[in-house]
Amino acid sequence: MTLQKNCFHCGEENPPSTDFNVQINTVSQRMCCPGCQAVAQTIVDSGLTSYYEHRSEPAEKGLLLVPDVLLQLEDYDIGKIQEDFVDNVVDNNENLSTTTLSVEGITCPACAWLIEKQLRSLPGLVFINVNTTLNRAVIKWDQQQLKLSQILTGIQKIGYKAYPFQVNKQEAFYTQLTKSYLQRLGLAGLATMQVMMFAIALYADFFSGMEEQFIHYFRWVSFILATPVLLYSAQPFYLNAWRNIRNQTLGMDIPISIALLGAYTASGYATIVGQGEVYFESVSMFTFLLLLGRLLELRARRKASESSSNLLRLLPSMATLIEDPDNLQIQSVIPAKTLTVGQYIIVKPGQTIPVDGLILKGASNIEESMLTGEHLPVSKAQNAPVFAGSVNITSQLIIRVEKVGNNTLIADIIHLQDNAQLNKPKIEIIADTAARYFVAALLIVASLTYISWSFIAPDQAFWITLSVLVATCPCALSLATPTALTCATAQLNKQGILIKQHHVLETVNKINHIVFDKTGTLTKGNFKLLNTQYYSHYSKQECIDLAAQLEKNSEHPISLAFKKQQKNSIVLNDVVNRPGQGLQAKYLNKTLKLGHAVFCGVENNINSKELVIYLTLDKQLLASFELGDELRPSAPEILSYCHHHNINSTMLTGDISLKSEEVCEVLSISQLQKGVTPQQKLQYIQQLQKTDKVMMIGDGINDAPVMAGAHVSVALASGTDIAKNSADVILLGEDLNKLAALHKMANRTTLIIKENLVWAFGYNIIIVPLAVMGYVPPYIAVLGMSCSSLIVVCNSLRLLKS
Amino acid sequence: MSIIYILIPIAMIFVTIAIIVFFWAVKSNQYDDLDREGVNILFDEDLPAPPIKEDTESQQKTIKPSDLND
Repeated sequence: MTLQKNCFHCGEENPPSTDFNVQINTVSQRMCCPGCQAVAQTIVDSGLTSYYEHRSEPAEKGLLLVPDVLLQLEDYDIGKIQEDFVDNVVDNNENLSTTTLSVEGITCPACAWLIEKQLRSLPGLVFINVNTTLNRAVIKWDQQQLKLSQILTGIQKIGYKAYPFQVNKQEAFYTQLTKSYLQRLGLAGLATMQVMMFAIALYADFFSGMEEQFIHYFRWVSFILATPVLLYSAQPFYLNAWRNIRNQTLGMDIPISIALLGAYTASGYATIVGQGEVYFESVSMFTFLLLLGRLLELRARRKASESSSNLLRLLPSMATLIEDPDNLQIQSVIPAKTLTVGQYIIVKPGQTIPVDGLILKGASNIEESMLTGEHLPVSKAQNAPVFAGSVNITSQLIIRVEKVGNNTLIADIIHLQDNAQLNKPKIEIIADTAARYFVAALLIVASLTYISWSFIAPDQAFWITLSVLVATCPCALSLATPTALTCATAQLNKQGILIKQHHVLETVNKINHIVFDKTGTLTKGNFKLLNTQYYSHYSKQECIDLAAQLEKNSEHPISLAFKKQQKNSIVLNDVVNRPGQGLQAKYLNKTLKLGHAVFCGVENNINSKELVIYLTLDKQLLASFELGDELRPSAPEILSYCHHHNINSTMLTGDISLKSEEVCEVLSISQLQKGVTPQQKLQYIQQLQKTDKVMMIGDGINDAPVMAGAHVSVALASGTDIAKNSADVILLGEDLNKLAALHKMANRTTLIIKENLVWAFGYNIIIVPLAVMGYVPPYIAVLGMSCSSLIVVCNSLRLLKS
Repeated sequence: MSIIYILIPIAMIFVTIAIIVFFWAVKSNQYDDLDREGVNILFDEDLPAPPIKEDTESQQKTIKPSDLND
């Protein structure tokens, strides 16, 4: 058998010289990594090879299960933690728990089958349903027999990641709304078909005549069938129109409601008195087409809010409580939200600090990049304040809880964000402007028609005015924007750009100033070896291996930079970690040191904007490493795109190091504001918005208020939940060029919307004179309305082509 | 032609039934996941397929481990 080039499980290329195989249906299949191998083996062992036969997409790359991760999953079993996302239900007199999990890695319906099948073998699992559209699983299980962590582990074993998540506030609302719109649409559709059938029969009357009694009968039937459409299906339009009138604005729903109610009432009157024209089919079809447009728009929004909900993981925030700061033996792990002021907690290196507090004992470096944007850890000692959300890097701390819940610094920032959201400036959108002109024109034309015809033929005046209302019916006009936005949103979704707010597509092209956060947005937000110099007979790789081996004993973000480059393990003895200085150990009976110049005793130290650390062996300098936060490869491209399109750029960062100037210089960013607090960031942007239309892109908690206040805000999926919550757009993946794609798409969308509006107005300019002269019978009105709507929809569909 | 006085009301009754059925389908979440159900039939299920989707409140038959023979 020839060697397979691609992994059987995930489809990625197999690295040469590896050999991971799994027997699947008596054929040995090659895999690319131990992760995929383990997952495939689990699938085979569970007798689920059917998955491989029916899947339509390759799976995601399998991940090896790390014991740490599995331990973390166990935190989800704690009752206090489960309160947030688990509901208890009574079913057949059994107490069961139910929850919805977000599942990562679902690529096709076969995945859903695989997960369900795999989990059904767990004793105590009562119900599971995996939804492939939402990438979620609803589970119901018996807490007595089964733990939630076992369920999560079961899903991980077959190569998916599942976790509880926080439902976006909008989502439940959209889901409910989509359902009610679907019902309204179904009713309108079925009734429209019937009404149309009788309408066709009535058209025959124009050409060949019909007996009077049948005409009456058909009209009455149409009247009856159109009534639920008007009363039930078209409700949202009246409500929106009423809301618009109350807020003294003009929206598209006002002319819609006028046309609908006017035409229906007049047709009803005509039916009862037995003279005049009836437009029941126009009314029903109009409602149906509009609802279709609205439903598509809603579904696109719902999809976006669901996708962004899935990104908001609920991580169990735990704290280690101690009764007495002098006795560390008595510890208990409890959910962080149950802590009260005055209690003492231990925070180990690498853990996130769960509350605002004061350091009682210990000294450590603390990374506060989430709050300040500064990615170099700050060293803090006794009595220094620490904040919830920051990460303890180097050594164990004992902290006295000072503030919990709503009083923490993070809560203040969220509060600032909410306020900014309320005062967010709006950019006028085209559809509203169009609507305003349209309503004015419609009312003027209709009244003029009525007045003129009152002089010419008083008995005709009312019916001709009605035909004007129906003919100019703003169907195409009101479909112009929603259809275009929906197609654009769907297209962007495919590219990994989630649009949470619909106005974005119309406002992005008016943006003339983009404000960037630095750490984690323009840069990757983690340390990387940028420059290494060697001074001895030790080779480059040997130096890196030595440094990496030492760094294994540190939780500092620097250690990751070395870890990636380590090739060989080296035996070191007596490793000592000196927080804030460096690490030392015994190697070949000599003292090996890695750290600052002073700690290593290096005299002529290198000047650099970056962090420089040295490696010495018994005072002999082996190497110097320059570490820094690396720029994202896509950053220069997006900045040149901005310059090319005359968009100003500003960097707004909490970081105070010289690094900011350097990044600005490299990327030729014109303005820089550094060392600013979230509050100052917000003030800066509000000042800027007096003259410019501003887009903010960021990822941290400290960016959240600014993002809420900017005209348009963009968050990276790798960012914090708080930032993602306040953003209008979320970019999945690391590629900043998606901003350019968004900008281009926004331009195309606006163009299409304009085309649609021009067409809708053009159609009205042709039909109005005919209607005014009384040449528009019902069948022409329906024909014109349907054709103009179809043209608008087809034009919008062009956006789906990339 | 007077037959239409009877036929059309009957047709309207049918439409009403259709609307009621459609409402029921929407309410019981049958439009939530349209990609999946078409593929379900391809899998060798030795278990009765689960209901398409059900509310967490409604009744649901417990699948005992003894039913699983795969």
